[in-house]
Amino acid sequence: MAASQENESDMDFSDNDCYDYNNYYNDDDSDVEHVDPMKVDPEYFEYRCLSEEEVERLLNESVESLSNCLRISPTLAKVLLHGHHWNSNEVIRKYKDNPSQTIIWAKINPPSPQSIMTSNYYTCPVCVTPQHVEKFSHLPCGHKFCKDCWITHFEVQINQGISTSISCMAKDCVVLVPESFVLMHLQHKTNIREKYQHFVFQDYVKSHPELRFCPGPNCPIIVHSREIKAKKSICEQCKTAFCFRCGCDYHAPTDCQVIKKWLIKCADDSETANYISAHTKDCPKCHICIEKNGGCNHMQCYNCKHDFCWMCLGDWKSHGSEYYECSRYRENPNIAHESVHAQAREALTKYLHYYERWENHSKSLKLEEQTLEKLRDRINEKVMSGLGTWIDWQYLFASANLLAKCRYTLQYTYPFAYYMDAGPRKELFEYQQAQLEAEIENLSWKIERAETTDRGDLENQMDIAEKRRTTLLKDFLDV
Amino acid sequence: MANIAAQRIKREFKEVIRSEEVAKCAIKLDLVDNNYTELRGEIAGPPDTAYEGGNFVLEIKVPETYPFNPPKVRFITKIWHPNISSVTGAICLDILKDQWAAAMTLRTVLLSLQALLSAAEPDDPQDAVVARQYKENVEMFRLTARHWTNAYAGGPNANPECDEKIKRLVDMGIEEHQARVALSSYNWDLERATEQLFS
Ligand SMILES: [Zn+2]
Ligand SMILES: [Zn+2]
Ligand SMILES: [Zn+2]
Ligand SMILES: [Zn+2]
Repeated sequence: MAASQENESDMDFSDNDCYDYNNYYNDDDSDVEHVDPMKVDPEYFEYRCLSEEEVERLLNESVESLSNCLRISPTLAKVLLHGHHWNSNEVIRKYKDNPSQTIIWAKINPPSPQSIMTSNYYTCPVCVTPQHVEKFSHLPCGHKFCKDCWITHFEVQINQGISTSISCMAKDCVVLVPESFVLMHLQHKTNIREKYQHFVFQDYVKSHPELRFCPGPNCPIIVHSREIKAKKSICEQCKTAFCFRCGCDYHAPTDCQVIKKWLIKCADDSETANYISAHTKDCPKCHICIEKNGGCNHMQCYNCKHDFCWMCLGDWKSHGSEYYECSRYRENPNIAHESVHAQAREALTKYLHYYERWENHSKSLKLEEQTLEKLRDRINEKVMSGLGTWIDWQYLFASANLLAKCRYTLQYTYPFAYYMDAGPRKELFEYQQAQLEAEIENLSWKIERAETTDRGDLENQMDIAEKRRTTLLKDFLDV
Repeated sequence: MANIAAQRIKREFKEVIRSEEVAKCAIKLDLVDNNYTELRGEIAGPPDTAYEGGNFVLEIKVPETYPFNPPKVRFITKIWHPNISSVTGAICLDILKDQWAAAMTLRTVLLSLQALLSAAEPDDPQDAVVARQYKENVEMFRLTARHWTNAYAGGPNANPECDEKIKRLVDMGIEEHQARVALSSYNWDLERATEQLFS
């Protein structure tokens, strides 16, 4: 095998031509007036949407440069890179330090070399058929099996979705089968070979921290970023927005682990939380039944015109400005002394408080999408009857989009707050969250009444809401 | 592929029959059908363990893709062990899953299962109740495993105290095995076992 030969040769290395300084994005650090874009926009993120072919090229470049640098075969370079999360520098460091041990760790060579058997006939230990030695092949470990058995082994493994982790068939042998060995045996098996190559590519992308498959349905795009952070990437092809680090729905300011914990909790507790999903509530003043049909949580009773908050049923006047208490959960300070039952009840109440708001903003987002549709129809009518052009009304769509963006962030502040420890930082967070919430509801209220709202007034409200959102992210988005 | 499977099993069957472990009565292999797709294995409980003196019967099903995939093995004899389900006999053992290698044989499997009886791995449990008892109260675990070996695998070490408690529950109308499971799960606390059975 090619791989086993290379590590035997003695090699000289020059330090200066090896390391991977190749900069994909050419960030120009020498520019003194360069402003850190993160300071302006806490969600700033540089990434590129690549096709499968582009990613293949990118991977091949890494393989080639490593193989040139260490003077090893591309096969070996590829296995080493895959085994080290495509970190060339780490491979180079380890390889220079101890080439033979590195190859053993990568499960390319066995820890102890095997004796090569010399007779012409040999019984394959798998199919127990005696055959001529030409019918056999082996990996660097020296475990010989007939080629038909290797092929069947590969077929069985590949049909189970296994590719880069296929290993030797011998008992207790950890040596992995490199891509070239598999492909050589599957020369005449086009279908299974293609399946294999597909799985191998998936494995490479998944093991590469700078690459992430677009989670959009059937989308072939792969996002590439040098910065491995929980930032928002939007697929150019299918427009799916997702967190680059975990591949789930974008979740700022909450981090990847916390949102995962939260979503699991919500799924586990969905029974308990179900009762809140009612679409109707009673007006707190005249007790007439009110159905929510827009996204805005500032409700006005159609009967008595009382203004109230859909979430807490409190008077809206207390919500409009300054510090409002609706988003905040007040913990019972004496809870530690209460009974187990009381503590369990308190824990549930606390969870429901956050869950209700999380769920409500998610629903509001959907309802506001419908509002946007209605808005589109109304504007269409206006344009048809000569009241301005589409361009004149463009600002309304901009405001609806901004509202969606702000409400999305607001929705994800609730799991963040739920898991936050009590203290001054949480107080600051809840203060900012409350302010953001108030401005979002103002914006929503104004958009629902868009035609009668002054354009300047609306644009001003957009500006305020976005500022509140950015401030909160600047202070609390920690990625 | 099915052809390879039969060819292999035939060869392995001979290998086990001739092996020295069979001579020592430590392992045994019998054919169940003539297609070599189902076999019956037997292993002796290893000495100096709670399973000593017991004989444990195994169901072995050979898949069509054997030996490229592992055989499907489960205990027919009821057994109290962290890595074996006390209900279904299902086994949690790496070589029966992803650590299987085509060059392994049924003899390897039988010997590995015997080794598993000597050295349980409670951190990779198949039966959570047994594993918890093993970790929290290993003496209680040994007593229970020995009792099960006596009750189901022909082990020589009867425990009159256990038998007495089971009899008390049987007298109340509980089926014997059900009574044994409840008592075993509650560290032979008759009161708690009764409570659970009648709740
Ligand atoms: Zn090997
Ligand atoms: Zn063979
Ligand atoms: Zn996409
Ligand atoms: Zn994430």
